[in-house]
Formats: sequence, C-alpha cells, structure tokens
Amino acid sequence: MENIYLAIPLAPLLGAIIAGLFGRQIGRAGAHTVTILGVGISFVLSLFVLKRIAIDGGEPFNGSVYTWLISDGLKFEIGFLIDNLTALMITVVTFVSLMVHIYTIGYMADDDHNWPSHSKAGAPSSYQRFFSFIALFTFSMLMLVMSNNFLQLFFGWEAVGLVSYLLIGFWYTRPTAIYANLKAFLVNRVGDFGFLLGIGAIYAFFNSMDYATVFAAAPAMVGTTIEVFAGTEWQLLTVICIFLFIGAMGKSAQVPLHVWLPDSMEGPTPISALIHAATMVTAGIFMVARMSPLFELSTTALVFVMVIGAITALFMGFLGIVQNDIKRVVAYSTLSQLGYMTVALGVSAYAAGIFHLMTHAFFKALLFLGAGSVIIAMHHDQDIRNMGGLRRYMPITWITSLVGSLALIGTPFFAGFYSKDTIIEAVHHSQLPGAGLVYWMVLAGVFVTALYSFRMYFLVFHGTPRMDDHIREHLRETPWVVTVPLILLAIPSVLSGYLIDPVVFGDYFAGVLHVDPANDVLTGIGEHYHGPVSFVLHALGGPAIYLAIAGVVTAWYVYMKNPAIAGDVQQRFRGIYKLLVNKYYADDFNDAVFAGGARGVGRLLWRIGDVLIIDGLVVNGSARVVGWVASVVRHVQTGYLYHYAFSMIIGLLLLLFWFVYMGAGA
Amino acid sequence: MTFAPLATEIFLLSMACIILIVDVFLRDERRVLSYALAQLTLLAGALISWSMLGNETQVVLHGTFVSDPMAALLKTSILLVTVGVFMYSRSYLVERDIFRGEFYVLGLFAVLGMLVLVSAHSLLTIYLGLELLSLSLYALVAFQRDSAAASEAAMKYFVLGALASGMLLYGISMLYGATGSLDIGEVAEAIALPGEQGIILVFALCFIVVGLAFKFGAVPFHMWVPDVYHGAPTPVTLFIGSAPKIAAFAMAMRLLTEALGGLYGSWQDMLTILAVLSLVIGNVIAIAQTNIKRMLAYSTIAHVGFLLLGLLAGTTEGFSASMFYAITYALMAIGGFGMVILLSRAGFEADRLDDFKGLNDRSPWFAFMMLILMLSMAGVPPTVGFYAKLAVLQAVIHVDMVWLAVVAVFFSIIGAFYYIRIVKLMYFDAPEGDAPLAVSPDMQIAMSLNGLAVLTLGIFPGGLMAVCNAVLS
Amino acid sequence: MGFERFVFYVFAVILVYAAARVITVRNPVHAVLHLVLAFFTCAGLWLLLEAEFLAITLVLVYVGAVMVLFLFVVMMLDINVSPLREGFVKYLPMGFVVALLIFAEMFMVLGVKNFGAQAVAIPERHGADYSNTREIGNVLYTDYVYPFEIASVILLVAIIAAIALTMRRRPDTRSQDPVAQVAVRREDRVRLVKMKTEEKSG
Repeated sequence: MENIYLAIPLAPLLGAIIAGLFGRQIGRAGAHTVTILGVGISFVLSLFVLKRIAIDGGEPFNGSVYTWLISDGLKFEIGFLIDNLTALMITVVTFVSLMVHIYTIGYMADDDHNWPSHSKAGAPSSYQRFFSFIALFTFSMLMLVMSNNFLQLFFGWEAVGLVSYLLIGFWYTRPTAIYANLKAFLVNRVGDFGFLLGIGAIYAFFNSMDYATVFAAAPAMVGTTIEVFAGTEWQLLTVICIFLFIGAMGKSAQVPLHVWLPDSMEGPTPISALIHAATMVTAGIFMVARMSPLFELSTTALVFVMVIGAITALFMGFLGIVQNDIKRVVAYSTLSQLGYMTVALGVSAYAAGIFHLMTHAFFKALLFLGAGSVIIAMHHDQDIRNMGGLRRYMPITWITSLVGSLALIGTPFFAGFYSKDTIIEAVHHSQLPGAGLVYWMVLAGVFVTALYSFRMYFLVFHGTPRMDDHIREHLRETPWVVTVPLILLAIPSVLSGYLIDPVVFGDYFAGVLHVDPANDVLTGIGEHYHGPVSFVLHALGGPAIYLAIAGVVTAWYVYMKNPAIAGDVQQRFRGIYKLLVNKYYADDFNDAVFAGGARGVGRLLWRIGDVLIIDGLVVNGSARVVGWVASVVRHVQTGYLYHYAFSMIIGLLLLLFWFVYMGAGA
Repeated sequence: MTFAPLATEIFLLSMACIILIVDVFLRDERRVLSYALAQLTLLAGALISWSMLGNETQVVLHGTFVSDPMAALLKTSILLVTVGVFMYSRSYLVERDIFRGEFYVLGLFAVLGMLVLVSAHSLLTIYLGLELLSLSLYALVAFQRDSAAASEAAMKYFVLGALASGMLLYGISMLYGATGSLDIGEVAEAIALPGEQGIILVFALCFIVVGLAFKFGAVPFHMWVPDVYHGAPTPVTLFIGSAPKIAAFAMAMRLLTEALGGLYGSWQDMLTILAVLSLVIGNVIAIAQTNIKRMLAYSTIAHVGFLLLGLLAGTTEGFSASMFYAITYALMAIGGFGMVILLSRAGFEADRLDDFKGLNDRSPWFAFMMLILMLSMAGVPPTVGFYAKLAVLQAVIHVDMVWLAVVAVFFSIIGAFYYIRIVKLMYFDAPEGDAPLAVSPDMQIAMSLNGLAVLTLGIFPGGLMAVCNAVLS
Repeated sequence: MGFERFVFYVFAVILVYAAARVITVRNPVHAVLHLVLAFFTCAGLWLLLEAEFLAITLVLVYVGAVMVLFLFVVMMLDINVSPLREGFVKYLPMGFVVALLIFAEMFMVLGVKNFGAQAVAIPERHGADYSNTREIGNVLYTDYVYPFEIASVILLVAIIAAIALTMRRRPDTRSQDPVAQVAVRREDRVRLVKMKTEEKSG
C-alpha cells in the first residue's frame, strides 16, 4: 500500500518534470498527454484508496516513507497520514485537477495570442510550461493533504503558494499579472509568517513535528501559558491555534488577508478554477480541520475563527454584486463561500466545513470553467456588461452554469444546499459567544449569494446580446475538451450533496476529526435528520430557502425586468456603491499604509542602515578588512622553502611551549 | 588464516607489480591497458574491502595490522575515490604526453600506503605507511618533468614532508621510550596506567600532532599545500587533495584516539588551536586567490579545520561526523579539481578563476555540476556539504563548545564568498574565449556521476551516515 | 665503568663536533667527510650499547656505500658555495633563539628526571655468547615481517620513482643504438643510381 500512497503524489510530479524540462522535445501533445496521464493515474489510485479506506473500512495508514534528517531527536521526514479525511481530499483534488487538465487543452489551445507578438516571451513552450505547472501544483497539493507532520505540511503549503505565484503571473508580460502575483505572494507571506510561528511554537513546546504525537500531547498542554508580550499571559494553545489560523487566513483568503484572491484572476481561467477556487484556497480549511484536536482545546481560537469567517462570508458577498468582470464575480463568491467553511470550522462543525469544501470544489470549479468557456467564446472579453443572451449560442455551457449557480445559492436537492444549510443550522445550534450575530450574518449571506450569482447568470446568458457584431458572428459552443469537463463537473455538483448522510451525520470522520462534546453541534442536528428529502422539508421551515429565492427574484427583477432600477439604486446609494466598488478601500489602505509604510521604512533603513552602516561599514568595510587581511597574509606565502620550514618549527615550538612548558608549570 | 585480513593489500601490491611489468612490454598506443588494469585493480580492491565491512575486529601479524569495520569502510572509500581520480586523469595525461604506466603504478603504491596507514596497529606501521604514501606522492608531483613549477613543488613537498616525518618519528620514538611498546593497544594501556610519564607523553604528543597536522595541511603546517597544489599537474593535485585526507583521518584516529586516547585533554586543546587557525587562514586567504587551484588549496585548509572539529569533539558522534566529512570532502575535491581538468586542454591550463567565466553559456550541464560542487563546499543544502558541516557542528555543540561552532559558522560564511564567486563567474559573466569545450566521454560520465553523487548524498545522507556510525560503534 | 664513561664522552664530543661541522663547513666535500666521521663515532656509541650488528651495518652500508656515492655526486657537481650562504648571518640570531628554546624544552623533558636510571631500568648485560645478529634475525622475519615488507615496497617505489623521473631519451644525445647498427641493410646506406652513359662527343 505504501507504494500506492507514494505513487499518488509522484505520478503528477513525474509528469510535471517531463513536461517542464523536456517540453520542447515532446511538444504540446506530449506535454498534455504525460501530465494528464500522471494526474489520471493518481486519480484512479485515489479512488482505490478511497474505496479501501472509506468504504471497505481499511485501517488508516500513518507512517514515514523517507527520513531526511534527525536533528537532536527531532525527525524531519516525509510521511503519509491516510485516513478518511485524506482519502476524501485526494479524490476531490485529483478529480478536479484531472478535469482542469483536460479543459486546459481547449483553453490554452491558442495561447500564442496571449503573448505580445513582437517579443519572444512565452513562445514556444508556454503551453507545456502551463501543464507542467498545474501538474506540479497537483503534486504539491497532494503532499500537503497527505502529510503526517508539520514540516511536510509546511512544504506543501509553500509549494502550492509558489505554483500559485507562478501561475497568477503566467502571462508575465502583462504588468497587471505581475502586480497580482506579487500581491498574492506578499499577502501570503503575512499568513505564512503566522503559520511558521505556529509550527515553531509547536516544535518548541511539543518537541515533535508529528501530528499524532502533538495531538496526543495537546490535552496535557491545556492551562500552559506563555508570555507573548512582557506582562501578558496567554494560553499556549490559543496562541498556537491563532497563529496556525493566520496561516489559513492567508491561504484561504479570509478578511483581512483576502485582497490577493480577486487579483489572482489575472491568471488563466483553468488555474482560477483549480487553484483559486477548488483546491489550494481550501488548504486553510483542510488544515484547521486536520488540527481539530488542537482547536477544540481553545474556545478563544474557535470564536476568532468563526467571526473572521462570518465577516468574510457576508462582506465579500456584497462585493460580488458590483463586479462586472465575470471571473471576479466568481472570485468574490469563492471568498464568501470560504467564509462559510471557516464559520463551520469555528462552530466545530468540521465535517460540515469539509463537506462544503467538497461540494464547493465541484460547483465552483464548474462555474469557473463555465466562465472560462464563455471567455473563450467571447474572445477573452470578460466584462459581463458586454454579454447577454449566450444561452442560445452555448447550450451546454448555459445548462452547466445554471446547475453550478443553483448549487451555489443552495437550491434544494443540489449539492450546495445540503452543505450550506448544514453550516447555517450548525451556527444556529452553536453555544459559542457571538454565534447569534454570526447566524444572522450567514443568513444575510444567503440572500447576497443568490443575488450576485443570478445577476451574473442573467446578464451573461439571458437578455439581449450586447456584444459587437464581429464577436456575435463567431459565437459558438466551445470544443468537447471544454464541455466534457463541464458536464463531468456538473454531475457531482448535483449528486455529491447526497453524501451528507455518511459524511456529516454518519461516522465517516469518526476518529479523524475531533470534536469536544460540549461544542458538538452536528450531532444535535443529526438527531433531526431523516434523509435528504426530509432535510429539504425541514429547511422549508427555516428562512434560508426563502432568502435564496428572494435573492434570485431580486436579481431577475433588477437586471432583467427593470434594468433602470439598478442605475437608480446605484445613484441613490452612491456612497455605499463607491465603498463597494473600491472594495472597502482595503487595497488602497494596504497600498498606503503597509506598502507605503514599508517602502518608507525601507527607504529609511536603506539610507541609514544599508547604505551607511551595512554597505559602508559592515559589508564593504568587513569585505575590505577581509580583503586587506587576505592580501597581507598571502605575502606570508613567500614561496621560500626555508620560510615554510621555519613556520613549521615555530608552530612546533609554540605547541611545545604551550603544552609542555605551561603544562609542567601548572 | 592469518593473511585473509590483508587480502586488499596483498592484491593491490601484486597487481601493482604486475602492471609494472606489463607496462614495460606495452607500446605507447596500447598504454591504455595499464590504465584499465589499474582501474580494475582499484575496483576489485574496493569490492574486497567492502566485503570485509561486517567482519570482526582482528589484530594479526604480531600486532602490526588491524582489520576492523572502520578500516574496511575507509579503504573502500579511498579505493573508490582513487578510481575517480584516475578517470579524471587520463585525458589530461594523454594531452600532455605524460600518459605513462608509472603514473598509475605510483598511484597504486600511494593507495597501498594509505591502506597500510588505515589498517596500522603499530606505530611502526603507521610511520611506514605514511612514508610509502608520501614517497609515491613526491614522485607523482614531479611527474611532469619538463615543468619547472612541478619540480619546485615536488622539492618543497619533499623537504617539508621529510621534516614533518622526522618530527613524527621523533614523537613516536619518545612514545616508545615512555611506554616501552610500539603496539597501539599496549601504548594505550601503558598510558592509562598512573605514572610520572605525563610530560614525556605530552612532549611526544606535540611532535605527533605536528606530523599529523602536516599531513592534513592544518595551519601553521599548511605552507606546502598551496604551492604543491598549484605546482603539481592537476591530476596529481586531485589525488593529493582527496584520498590522502581520508588516510590522514584514519591516521589521526589510530594515533590520537586509539593510542593516545588517555591524553584526550591535551590533544583536544592542540586540535582546537589548529582547527581555529585553519578555519581563519583557509577561508580568509582563499578570497585573495585568483588561481582556482590555489583557491581550492586554501579551501582544503578550511575544510581540514572542520574535519578537526569533529575529531576534537572526542565523541563517537564527532568521529563519525569527521569520517563522513573526510569521505564526502574527498568526493567534492575530486569534482572541483576534475572541473579544472575538464576545462583544460593540451597546452592550456584552465586554472585561473577567469577561465570559469561564462561556463554556463559554453556548457550548462557542467556549469550546473560545478554549481552543485561549489554549493556543497560552501555547505548549502541540499548538497552533502551541508550535512557534513551540520554533523560536525552538532558534535561540537554536544560537547559544549558552542563558541567553536560559532567561529566555524562565521568563517564558513566568509568562505561561502569565494565559492559563490565562481558561481557568479559561471552564470553571469561573458566567456573569455570561445574555444569549444572538448570533453572525452569517460570524463563526462565521471563528472556527471560526481556531481550527482554530491547531490544525492545530500538528499539521502542517512545511509552513509549510518555506516559511519556503525563502523565506529 | 669509569672507562666506559670516558669512551662515551670521547665519542659523544666527536660526534657533536662532526655533526656541527657538517652544516658549517664551506666545502661540500669536507661536509661529507665530516658526516662520515659522525657515522663512525655513532657506530662507536652503538657498540657501547651492545648493538654490534647495527654498528657494523652503519659502517658498511652508510660509510662504505652511501657516503662514497655521495662523495662522487658532490665532487661531480660544481656547487658554488657562496650564494647558498647568503642570509646565513642575517637569520642566525633568530634561528639561534628558536634552537635554544627548543633545546631548553627538550632538556626539560629528556633530562635525568624522566629518562634517568631511576626512571628507566638499565638493560641487563649479556654474556659474550649472546648474539645480537641472531636476535635481530629472529624477529625481523617473524614479529616484524609486515613492517619489513612495507619497507621493501618503499624501496621499490624509490627505484620506480628514480627511474621514472630521470630516465628519458633526450633528442640531442649522441648515443649509439647497436641494434640499429647491426640491423642496417645495404639498401639503407647505398643507393644505386642508373645513369645513361654519356656519349663520347666528337
């Protein structure tokens, strides 16, 4: 079995290496064949593992496969922890990745147009490079989720960040892409810094990097306090959990570290689907769920998680309403949905969070790929104000996007309904301080989600076509490599909701996710659960469904029936509109305060510290001193034999003097 | 069977004599046969000594010879490193018209000397092994007779080497006088007895340490190193800079820990002085060098400083770290000098730093190999040099000599400068000439294997480290 | 006992004197001759230690063979003495101080305190029938066979090295090659040229 586990991440890695290093030799077809083969192998193996571990109830695997080094009793190793959570994650990751790989063949087919024609940048192997990157990403993500220790987790964490950086800036001749990937990189650095501090604290207090060891020792650490700032006592576990969660905030784009995700849409659409919707951004969610034994021990950390999640869920949703770029709308919806998952984690409904992660991966990848399909048809015009009426030209894209949107807003019987409604119910049942307010926030989020989703849907697929004639003449359904993944993703977008029975209310996660009985909300909900249909009936008694319907109706009325209202509202609430369009001024704030401040401090340090002290005195100074010493001392090397012999004699004399004479004297 | 533990030595000696005779009857164009025979000898020898790795410790021939796992491992490494040396040397010798059988015969005798040294269990054998090694090396340094630099280097090496041997011998005779025995085991026992002999022993120790330090090339007994490395033909430099360091390590183990373990306090202090001086002088002066052979010579001195750190820790951990360092350093050194050979061609020595300019444009693969080697020497992960340094530093820290570790780290950071400078020259400067790089296939294979071995050992250091630990415990 | 001590000091003084002259005389031939003297007196000292075999070997091998060879070499080479001694005076004080210091330290350690009769037992005297030579012979090929063999390999290396470094065929030497001379054929030396007989003119 160990070899199978090893093969799952290594197959895409091999594909990535071949496509990356030998891209020119094997050509386009070679590159996509080899990477798809790699990811396909790991998907099939993942299914096998899922069946064995989850369905047949095989023993979870926890062991190391390679020890890098042992330092002072601390092992740095690569190891796998394969349990139900991992099995689920690797299946989702490899499935979505496989779909995206296939889809990319169509999307990147005419990538040459995306590069400036006069320069040689990108060509001739940008296509191969892209496949190499996404396969490499798959490898990194699999290493992340399969890890059994913090070091490998961190490795995977950084590796997905790196690939994300590379892919956001894939079209590196565009200044916006460079800006976006730098931004993503810097913002993630903030999160990673927290994450690293958390791991460091774990190492310092637990003296181990191994999950199992740390989790076993954690309960004994309750009550341990450390002094973060002089004079203040902090619960150790709270500090660790909050640091770890800061890492998750960076990667899963939670407020206030969310600013990079909308900009990351500068990258090609397939990676928006794969990395910035379905998989990488959920790494934070996965990590917190994996660390549930730690988080459960700190109520403070849980409340922190819940509040951050709720803020993200609601306020990022608002921004989706005013966006006009089709991908940005989906991006803000991703932010909002990640907020829902985080809320679920905060109220200890880890299973619900993971469940939503899974369903969201399917329908958000679907929505992104649908958006990509539209973008292909629109010749890379992404503004929804220029679209409209596309359903007549692109029936498959239309239907699948409708399915995705319905799933997203939580229409009964669609996947999103089950996962999202469970989260809302869980918040309702939670006893955490602040849960009452959060409940209202997530409910409001349902309305907002429906509003922006169907605003986009109506503007793109219904109404009168607003694009210019040239584009309209060429409008047609995209090729099969694009539509097949759409269809294949649409299926789980509907059906995966029915897994709610085992995953959330069953014992699928028994022994994997740790929930303190005092915080356990899902069991309470589960007592009222009597199958998917009754779940719907039960939901009819709650406000969520009606809010979603209200959102759809509002969207229809405002953007289809009576478009004048939109402009009217925009005029009347100009202040709010401006606030939203400027994304709460978060970017401006960051630019002015953090970037500007950092540049200011940097310039100051550069002038005084770098130019004056370091360059002038330390570096050049010490370099000059070393150079001077070296040039002087080398003259001792005269080349004269008797000088050499004499230096040996002197050396001997000094040794004798030191040890014999002084030794005898002492 | 008394002679079974000597199988490697006997085999090597017989083969050296056979090659000597065969070579006489070969015409110049068939000379490659001698080379092939020498390589086969080394490989077979390595196989023989590797097979003895699991054997029990055995002292035979009236206490003059010991066969233990440490000896088996070190012999195997010496033989394999020499295989690499010979591989690199062939094309260089052919191009300079000194491709003669004596080179390989003398090389084999030098290896024999090292093997004797590694397996010595008597002060007499240590001395004789050292002489056999040194004498062969003197002759090899002078091998390119038409080169004035080589003759000068050989002369210096010979005179200073004789002086050092004399000191070592004097120390050994003092030791004999004080303990009444040449057998290492008996010497150790005599030292362990309480007595009034302390001062004689320390006196003897001073001389022995000088002899050792000369062989290692530790400051202040290092003066020969740059001149000899610079003057000798590059394949000989390659040889001197690699395998004998492993032998010197073995010699230090036999003399200091096995014979004079009772004087640990004294030799620890001496080695500390030598190590610190070597780290300082080696790293600092290397910066001022413009000739890569000289630069690598000073880098050797600095590496010796590190090697001594492990020894002076005086723990099994330290010894195994040092052993790991010696073996892996030999691997890096043959690669570094091998690159000089690789870039040289008939009538042209690529031994200036400027000759490395723009190597990446001329051959990305070899530039990459050199990059690995340089990073490894500088101690950058994931190359093996990092792990070797780490292990040594750990050992030093575990005996509470943190200041020493700090000094070592500080100076290896200074040292990183001149390694990285090579990288800069290779990747960021324009090449000076546009002469095509003509590299023979065996050279290409040797260099690629060498670079990849450094990288692989860096990623999987556990195996070799475990062996080093196992042979010492 | 008294006489033996007297002989020891005579030999010792001559030995030190001769050794000092080896490195101070100007003429290399004189230096070699002083070295011969040093060997002789040294052999005398060894005789006092009952090491008869070694004493005889020293005289036979070193004085008889090595030194004579040395003399040949020194006499054949015309070494100009004066440049070698440049700086001798300049470095003398420094060298003298270092030598003195080392001597002082050696004296401190190697004095009577550590190597005197009470520290090291006086070896027992052997009778007249005791054969030093036989004793050496007994251990040389048994206890010390391994060092002995290594020593022989060292000599072999010395031979190889000496030949490898000096034997070469210079292009400008006028050496004869008897094989070539014997194997020479008539055709190599004599060329028959057929010419038309000139016609008698008129």
